[in-house]
Amino acid sequence: MPVVVEVTLKSAALIFVLLTGFAYLSLLERKFIARLQARIGPNRAGPFGLLQPVADGLKLIFKESVTPKGVDKPIYFLAPALVVVPALMLFAVIPVGKGATFQLASDLNVGALYVVGVMSLAVYGIALAGWASNNKYAVLGGLRAAAQMIAYELGMGLSVAAVVLMASSASLADIVAAQYPEQYGGILGWFLFRQPVAAAIFVIAAFAEVARAPFDLVEAEQELTAGFMTEYGGMKFALFFMGEYVKMIAVSALFTTFFLGGWSGPFVNEAPILSVVYFTIKVVVCLLAFIWVRATLPRVRYDKLMDMGWKVLFPVALANVLVTAVLILLGLPGYRL
Amino acid sequence: MNVADLETVLPFLLLATGGVALLLVDLAVPQARKSLTGWLAFVVALAAGVSALALVSGKTMKGFAGMVQADAFAYFADVLLCVVAALVILLSLRYHTARGLMRGEFYPLLLLSLSGMSLAVHAADLLVVFLAIELLSIPLYVLSGFARPRLESEEAALKYFLTGAFASGFLVYGVALIYGASGTTALGDLRAALLDNPALTSDALLMAGLALVMVGLLFKIAAVPFHFWAPDVYEGAPTTVTAFMATATKAAAFLALMRVVAGFAALSPSLAQPFEVADALRPMLALIAAITMIVGNVTALAQQNVKRMLAYSSIAHAGYALAGVASGDATAVLFYLAAYAFATLAAFVVLIAVGSTEGNEDHRYEAYAGLGRRAPLLGVIMALAMFSLIGIPPTAGFVGKYFLFRAVVASDLTWLAVIGVLTSALSAAFYLRVLMVLFMREPETAPEAEPAALAADAPRMVAAYVSAAAVLLIGVFPSAVLALLTGGELVALVR
Amino acid sequence: MNDFLPIFVLLVLASGLVSLVLLISVLFGPRRRARNETKLQPYESGMRPIGPAQRRLPVRFYLIAVLFILFDIEVVFFFPWAVALRELGWAGLLSMLIFIGILEAGHFWLWRRGALEWEKMDK
Repeated sequence: MPVVVEVTLKSAALIFVLLTGFAYLSLLERKFIARLQARIGPNRAGPFGLLQPVADGLKLIFKESVTPKGVDKPIYFLAPALVVVPALMLFAVIPVGKGATFQLASDLNVGALYVVGVMSLAVYGIALAGWASNNKYAVLGGLRAAAQMIAYELGMGLSVAAVVLMASSASLADIVAAQYPEQYGGILGWFLFRQPVAAAIFVIAAFAEVARAPFDLVEAEQELTAGFMTEYGGMKFALFFMGEYVKMIAVSALFTTFFLGGWSGPFVNEAPILSVVYFTIKVVVCLLAFIWVRATLPRVRYDKLMDMGWKVLFPVALANVLVTAVLILLGLPGYRL
Repeated sequence: MNVADLETVLPFLLLATGGVALLLVDLAVPQARKSLTGWLAFVVALAAGVSALALVSGKTMKGFAGMVQADAFAYFADVLLCVVAALVILLSLRYHTARGLMRGEFYPLLLLSLSGMSLAVHAADLLVVFLAIELLSIPLYVLSGFARPRLESEEAALKYFLTGAFASGFLVYGVALIYGASGTTALGDLRAALLDNPALTSDALLMAGLALVMVGLLFKIAAVPFHFWAPDVYEGAPTTVTAFMATATKAAAFLALMRVVAGFAALSPSLAQPFEVADALRPMLALIAAITMIVGNVTALAQQNVKRMLAYSSIAHAGYALAGVASGDATAVLFYLAAYAFATLAAFVVLIAVGSTEGNEDHRYEAYAGLGRRAPLLGVIMALAMFSLIGIPPTAGFVGKYFLFRAVVASDLTWLAVIGVLTSALSAAFYLRVLMVLFMREPETAPEAEPAALAADAPRMVAAYVSAAAVLLIGVFPSAVLALLTGGELVALVR
Repeated sequence: MNDFLPIFVLLVLASGLVSLVLLISVLFGPRRRARNETKLQPYESGMRPIGPAQRRLPVRFYLIAVLFILFDIEVVFFFPWAVALRELGWAGLLSMLIFIGILEAGHFWLWRRGALEWEKMDK
């Protein structure tokens, strides 16, 4: 019984941290983009606009819950849940700090497979939201999203496979450990440097998976209004919003774990709590990169997006895995465990 | 895995790698010269056939940890399948050009389906049976829809796919139940387990699994009452595909069926022969065989379309072969299937020749009026095919039926043999009707100058001569074929 | 099963959170009784919706979906292989190369036949 209580408390804490993170990520994005565009950004609600997320949340809570005519009701209400729940679930296997304390499902030895599987579940939420809305923009947005996500999932899965190959383990804790063997000093052990191709593929696929600029055709407002969430308002819209941002945090956390050495850093053995700090810093850096890209790059054309996924990313990722396998079997210095 | 393992499925490997490679080679073949793909496929099929012929008298071997078995039966079936496929390729070259079906994917698909058949005849494990049946079926689903956008062809593909997928579901569920009851999917182990543990033979789970596996396999050979898909699919599919399905699929599925039946032989209290049918199975098989013979032949009597009549004829002949399975004589069954395959193929030569002319493909009896006099060669071939299908000496069909009924009588199923003989007599009515139309009826409208077109195609003529010669030679020298089948050591279907 | 306990707990909590959020908007949001047909219409840039939205979809989406299933299974096979490669050695790599070879033959064929062309797929 105590195990269940402990796990429940940890899960609740995790969800709380993620929700707070989501709220302030939305503020961070608005502030950061405003700065990049030589504006100031929200600054009325509280000091530096720090209460802005609270104000936004309260506003959405007091909105009327409108269910448009002709929607497929069970699916219409289920779809937001199918986006948010998998995004939260991703964190179950991510080690956010040193040791089992900071990893929810620390005994799971198929973490990488779990990540790839749960990540693809979100496609259902988006495709079903589009389908259930009885709206043509929504249907198109949902279909585009589904086709885009599954095309890039292949590349992402193979880049994770390359990481698993390097670590000889699918457990995320082992993958972090494998980036710090004795013979490499400091950050040179990161898979970012030992698997640069996989890292690049993961980043590109991550943008497509989260469907953010430059791959945000799913909700391209000029042609599709708001895409699959056109008919969603109030808190139902907030759920999609939450799903997108939590997934963004999750993907950043995964990139940190797979390629940036996870929670590791100097003095983690002396003060384990430092590991959580390092992890958070790395994740925030990734998130800022996400936002920076959105402010910088224009949206790509859909046919080019699909071409890139099927004809570049997938073959390159496959070749990368096979080349990595050969280098590992040859026992080259950078490819030993 | 080692090299010896590879040898046990050599024809399969040749066909599968050949099929995949041909798919890629075909990309480089220009649309105007797709017959090149056909010739390459012909070479692959022939090479696989020759490799099987070279191995046919070798020792019985098991490979891949007992998953596959290489014996005289399997290699004999391989040879038969490869020859049939090679002949179908020869027939298809002109037909596909005439019907506008000259797409390069036909030949790789045919080879892949053929590789599935080759695997099916080597299967010594229920999982391999399932895998092989899927591998042979899925290309066939596509091939039956190959005459897209002709509606009948699309309907045939969809019908075959939906019912076939359902049957595969039965098959794999049955395999799961058998595994649950006995703890093994290997047929040899299954037989040993049944012998060791007689209590298992009355296990409800095992029997349910056996029944489901039987349903799946009986569907593939189109035995009554699992035959409803066959006439529509055979009629709608392109005629070359029909020819392939009616001959090769049947031979492959029958050998797989016999191996499964042999795996359950220990259900029977006595065990002496290499291939035995369990007492529990024999009445069921005999009953289905009887119904299939009766329904197939009676329904064929009512058909107004030669292609559809041949579909029912193939159902009826599945009934005869099934009677052979019930008798437990694998040699007689395989011999019969070879005789049936060449006779049916000879008949399809005529159908494909008719289908290769200008205008719509028309296989109603009226369309054949007077054909035997305009194109005597086709008339003679059709006559041979029909005589063989009825079972008139000196054709292969006669010897095949003789061996078959002798085996059935020897296994105390005289009533089944009587039904077989009576339905054969009945079948003469509709087989001879074709010949009557061919030679004795004047066409309603004066035909254009078509005899030249009917006989012009050299590859088709080769196929015609080969299948006609096979019908005659097997009929006159049956011992040569039997020597292939029993030339090696005494073969057990399942060990 | 203990390995999966935290995941199950997280699933329950996350689902609970989502239900709560959906419930909150029903509890606190205004409820207007009068039915307003225009307000409940699907949004179509201010026009009256023409025809149903859930009609037949372009076949290319189905094609992409089928291809995805095919190749995603390939990717899934990579994971156990990747974990065990150091034990399997060169034989393991060879087996994987045969597997990949067959699948990539299919990929190449699809590519050359134009199944991956988003714009020209209709022909």
